[in-house]
Amino acid sequence: MRFSAALGVAMFILAGCNSGNNDQAAATADSAQAAATPAPEAAPQQPALNDAQIASIAVTANQIDVDYGKIALDKSKNPEIRKFAETMIKDHSDIIKQATALATKLNVTPETNKTTQDLLDGQTKMNETFKGLTGDAFDKAYAQNEAAYHEAVVNAVKNTLIPNTQNAELKSLIESVVPLLDHHLQMAKDLAAKFK
Amino acid sequence: MKKFIQIVAVCFSVCLILAGCDNGSSSSTVESTGPQRDTVIIKLMAFTPDTLTVNKGDTVVWINQDIVAHDVSHFPDRAWHSDTLNPQNVFVKVIDDSSSYFCSIHPTMRATVLLKK
Repeated sequence: MRFSAALGVAMFILAGCNSGNNDQAAATADSAQAAATPAPEAAPQQPALNDAQIASIAVTANQIDVDYGKIALDKSKNPEIRKFAETMIKDHSDIIKQATALATKLNVTPETNKTTQDLLDGQTKMNETFKGLTGDAFDKAYAQNEAAYHEAVVNAVKNTLIPNTQNAELKSLIESVVPLLDHHLQMAKDLAAKFK
Repeated sequence: MKKFIQIVAVCFSVCLILAGCDNGSSSSTVESTGPQRDTVIIKLMAFTPDTLTVNKGDTVVWINQDIVAHDVSHFPDRAWHSDTLNPQNVFVKVIDDSSSYFCSIHPTMRATVLLKK
């Protein structure tokens, strides 16, 4: 329950990875068949997600972590938790601003999709968990969730969002976020380790 | 004749002035070894270069070309530090001593400025 939000993203990653593997397996089978019989003209392969959906996922995933940070500032008195939460709010808000500006420039309207909805469902469940916690219990849950959430998001960005993004500028922006997410993940792990 | 002497004197003066200009050029070449200006780029969660060697009195300019805000703070006690540098903001400091520095917002970002011996 505690990691439901992160699990939602993890399910998305697994779905992305599985579909990639299936595509690869299908491609291998197709090429074997092609050797035996003349192939019909292949239809262009569609990406698993389009850029409008990817923009929606990116903005939603960042906004969720901003919202978690705001809950932490509301509930926690721990200086380390509060400093981490402030950094998450500032950094993820900056990314949202840039993603939104780029989407506007490219005339891409973020398109809500199943992954966006899964993320939001996970957030709702996590918020319920946070509501019932105070003091060290909340701090521990927040830190652990941040580590799990960032790990899932890093994997999703590297394995699903970047490979599927078609527009070069959008891809470049998403790629430029990876070092920041890696850094957040390390910060979150270090923070969570203090609450074991 | 008097006029001729005047013309010769003027030409001589011009030659002296030109010679002086040449000397000036030479001395400006010497001056280029004075205080220098070096740049550190902040991008992709790193300071580049991560080690910069300068002469005492040189100026270092940090430019935030990253997608999020950073700062430049003396490590570990923030004895000197910049304000928060939003993307495209710049921090300028004259270097008087070797020091390590970091981003206090993202503490694993560290780098060093060394004085030449």
